[in-house]
Amino acid sequence: MLFRDMPLSKEQAARVLADAHFGIEDGLERVFIIRAGLDDPREPIKLLEVNANTVPTGSVEPIPFSPSKDIPFVTEIAEISPEEFSRLERGELALPPGWTLEDADDVPRPRAA
Amino acid sequence: MDARGRGRRAAPPGGVNGDRRSQYAQGFYDQAWSDWQAYGVLTRAKDLPRWHPLHYLQMACEKLGKAYRLRNPRADVDAIATRHVGFTQFINEFLRSPAVMADYDGQRARHKAVSKTSSALAREIEKLAPATDRTHSPENAEYPWEHGDWEKGTG
Repeated sequence: MLFRDMPLSKEQAARVLADAHFGIEDGLERVFIIRAGLDDPREPIKLLEVNANTVPTGSVEPIPFSPSKDIPFVTEIAEISPEEFSRLERGELALPPGWTLEDADDVPRPRAA
Repeated sequence: MDARGRGRRAAPPGGVNGDRRSQYAQGFYDQAWSDWQAYGVLTRAKDLPRWHPLHYLQMACEKLGKAYRLRNPRADVDAIATRHVGFTQFINEFLRSPAVMADYDGQRARHKAVSKTSSALAREIEKLAPATDRTHSPENAEYPWEHGDWEKGTG
């Protein structure tokens, strides 16, 4: 098994994914776990990722991905550039419906990543 | 669909009915496949300037990314359909998706290397579109003379 032998809760799975993403992409500056809907089994895991190695699109567009054996939850990832994140903070860019940074977990980069 | 496009579904018209998002996704996927085949044909053609196959490579990748992004039932169909950017984001996110993470179980260094190379390639392909970052990357496959060496390009 990829991460551990015990089944993960959705919140744990989100954290595992966020930590793993830092280990793969050096350009990742921030990863936010969106807490809105995290307790709702119908809602996917939502990760907002700020990546210096991306091409800005001018919008925040999550892409949904199917569950895997280790992460048995639909996962939506929205990647934006640092400049787009600044625009988001200034209110010049909007998050998709159902997404909010309020109470979102700003996951710190693991030391080893 | 074959190499000549036989069996290809019609592209979604402006006023499609039913599941518009799914129809657009299928249309982009079909056309991406057709563009990819055209890329192969043009790559094998002798003495053809290199920007012709590169143009089809860029279009194939752009449309493939759009088709996948339209899987999201909450996707803004018009925004995705009309923009030329988004392929790099698609590749980056796909490479960090749960299924791909599982494929590289226990091979983090390899996964990281593949991701780095793929992301860099995606950025270069995306920059081939004339609408992408013209300030920093004026060269593109559709209007190659903006690079100032339009008479070259057969390499």
